[in-house]
Amino acid sequence: MADEQKPEGSPAPPPAGGEAASQAEKPVAAAKPAVPKPAAAAHAAPPKPPAVMVTTPWDSDITQFLKERFAGDITEFSTYLGQSFLVAKPDAVIPILDTLKLELDFDYLVDVTAVDYPKRPERFDLVYILYSFARNERIRVKTMIADGYTPPTAVTVHLAANWLEREVFDMFGIQFAGHPDMRRILLPEEWQGYPLRKEYGILQQDDAWVRENMGIESGQ
Amino acid sequence: MPEATFLDATELVINMGPQHPSTHGVLRVILKLDGEKVNGTECVIGYLHRGVEKIGENRTYQQFAPYVDRMDYVAAVSNGLGYCLAVEKLLNIEAPPRAQAVRVILTELNRIASHLLWLGTHALDIGAITPVFYCLREREEVLKIFENYCGARLTTHAFRIGGLQYETYDGFEEEVKKFCDWFIPKVDEYEELLTNNRIWVGRLKGVGVLSASECKEYGVTGPVLRAAGVAWDLRKAQPYSGYEQYEFDIPTAENGDTYDRYSVRMEEMRQSTRILRQAVDRIPSGPIMGKVPKVVKPPVGEAYVSIEAPKGELGYFIVSDNSTQPYRLRVRPPSFVNLQALDCMVRGGLVADVVAIIGTLDIVLGEVDR
Amino acid sequence: MIPKVFRTIFLVDLFQGLWVTFRNQDPKRIYTEQYPAERPKVGERYRGAPRLNINPDNGETLCISCNLCALACPENLIVVTSQRNEQTKRKELTTFIYDTSRCMFCGLCEDACPVDALELTQDFELASYTREGAIWDRQMLEEGPKPTQYKC
Repeated sequence: MADEQKPEGSPAPPPAGGEAASQAEKPVAAAKPAVPKPAAAAHAAPPKPPAVMVTTPWDSDITQFLKERFAGDITEFSTYLGQSFLVAKPDAVIPILDTLKLELDFDYLVDVTAVDYPKRPERFDLVYILYSFARNERIRVKTMIADGYTPPTAVTVHLAANWLEREVFDMFGIQFAGHPDMRRILLPEEWQGYPLRKEYGILQQDDAWVRENMGIESGQ
Repeated sequence: MPEATFLDATELVINMGPQHPSTHGVLRVILKLDGEKVNGTECVIGYLHRGVEKIGENRTYQQFAPYVDRMDYVAAVSNGLGYCLAVEKLLNIEAPPRAQAVRVILTELNRIASHLLWLGTHALDIGAITPVFYCLREREEVLKIFENYCGARLTTHAFRIGGLQYETYDGFEEEVKKFCDWFIPKVDEYEELLTNNRIWVGRLKGVGVLSASECKEYGVTGPVLRAAGVAWDLRKAQPYSGYEQYEFDIPTAENGDTYDRYSVRMEEMRQSTRILRQAVDRIPSGPIMGKVPKVVKPPVGEAYVSIEAPKGELGYFIVSDNSTQPYRLRVRPPSFVNLQALDCMVRGGLVADVVAIIGTLDIVLGEVDR
Repeated sequence: MIPKVFRTIFLVDLFQGLWVTFRNQDPKRIYTEQYPAERPKVGERYRGAPRLNINPDNGETLCISCNLCALACPENLIVVTSQRNEQTKRKELTTFIYDTSRCMFCGLCEDACPVDALELTQDFELASYTREGAIWDRQMLEEGPKPTQYKC
């Protein structure tokens, strides 16, 4: 099921899955002590680990239901290391969260967060992690948005999203349309800059704010 | 006719500032009061923001482990456990059984220590000054065990990715057993001091009610959710690190008020002692460290792993890009999400109840702000 | 059992609590350590002040200047310099700078050291009057901090 790509990395033990290829059986068996490589491959360089996440497709009653409802809006249903997620278009996320909550029992929003990939045109990966008490299952809803896009807020669906979205705004600069109180939560109100973006240096601080409010030359 | 001054306004906005003995850290709560009754609150946080998530992107996986202890500094061992489990999940390895058993023992000791500190400080806020001395005395014993095991009392850095660094010291099992035997009568002593005390009951019963549906709406987990009646504990629902081998109950209560949270946490301390006794009797022998490469470079991917910390569901969402440093390390802090429910719980109560409710939510500002 | 009215009027629950407090006045239950007269005995594995160990036989330092401790430190506060000894073809340690003001005593340097030269000892009295006094050089590391002893 797993990797259509090159022979499974010995650097990384392959994800669990029944691999039919006999070539794959040896690394699977030998990967346990993490000393891999049948003799043939020992002469060649170790295979490079894959450059993208190696996922397996995800299929269950949840995916069937969502496929019927949101056929065009969800681009991917995958599983990685046993954790399922779906990738959706940005404007379909709130209806999907709503459906998941009301009809599929995913009533607990665990987390809202974002990941910054500055080299992509859609640079932010907005991630919603949901959990269902009834099914005891956790899924992720991911979407890719560009800088400057304002996704709709999830507060209408889950009240827990209030502060979580404020933190995403504070750290990444992603504004959420319709949020009751869109302002910074962890950093001071007048801070300039969004720290968790990749171009914000590790030692960088908003020097103007520090000089003005703390009366010192620099925070370093 | 004297002109209207601000004293004539019916609503008073008062600041319960970041420096306050009862806010459990640097928490600023802006209260809108009508006399003594609270009409609304607003929490201002971020006074302890240290940028732990940004630091995570600039340290290797092993180097980041000490920073994790400093978030929930009251119960540091749980943070370490969550982080190690998350990285182990990304690497797709599992710690050996002996490491898992010792991890469970230290985590349950840490849960007892966290609840003891909670009880002491909560009682102190309410006005009962005695329990804080006794609770800290019990906590000393737990911290002594931590110190003998890993060398530090509070910022323990006890676990490593793939297992444990230190073998258990001679006398570890005896000390833990002695602690369990010594501790249970102390819990009875606290119950004697507080449970039927009319002042305690009067201050806590009916205060800060959060029903089960509201808890789920706000994403509140931990003892607050269990006091509302939902018997949900990640150690039973999605067991990790060998918890499925131990028998323990999940304490719940019906009303979801502050008194129920107190009884749930007292019962949790007893259940933790029960797990400790079982775990200490059957620590398996074997290696303490799994097969982890010297240079930890998980394959490209992401994983979210959460554990039942003493405060709620503590989760780590790590995105890796096959380099030695995480690409994104997100910590889902239980105190941050629980603190959102403060506004809902204090409306209609008195100012003194705000103090009780902040105490009962058991927040640690290190975790709220990271 | 005692009827409720009786318990309310005669403050039974409050006396029950007071009895717990009075029980604890027993001198055998005193828990306070009188520091600095009684120094706490810290555990063997306590992560306190760093020390550079010296080989007891010939008085030379055990450090082989491999720099693993500096690489392991999350805060990058160890600086190891060495020079190459032409006769033995090995590196010899010249200076070793350790900044205890930024150290979080995590123990990663101690774990990384392959020859047990760098060790975190049980000293916890590290105070100094200046910021610069907290940056330890090789001599300070080999001798250890010498706190003033108080006699009561």
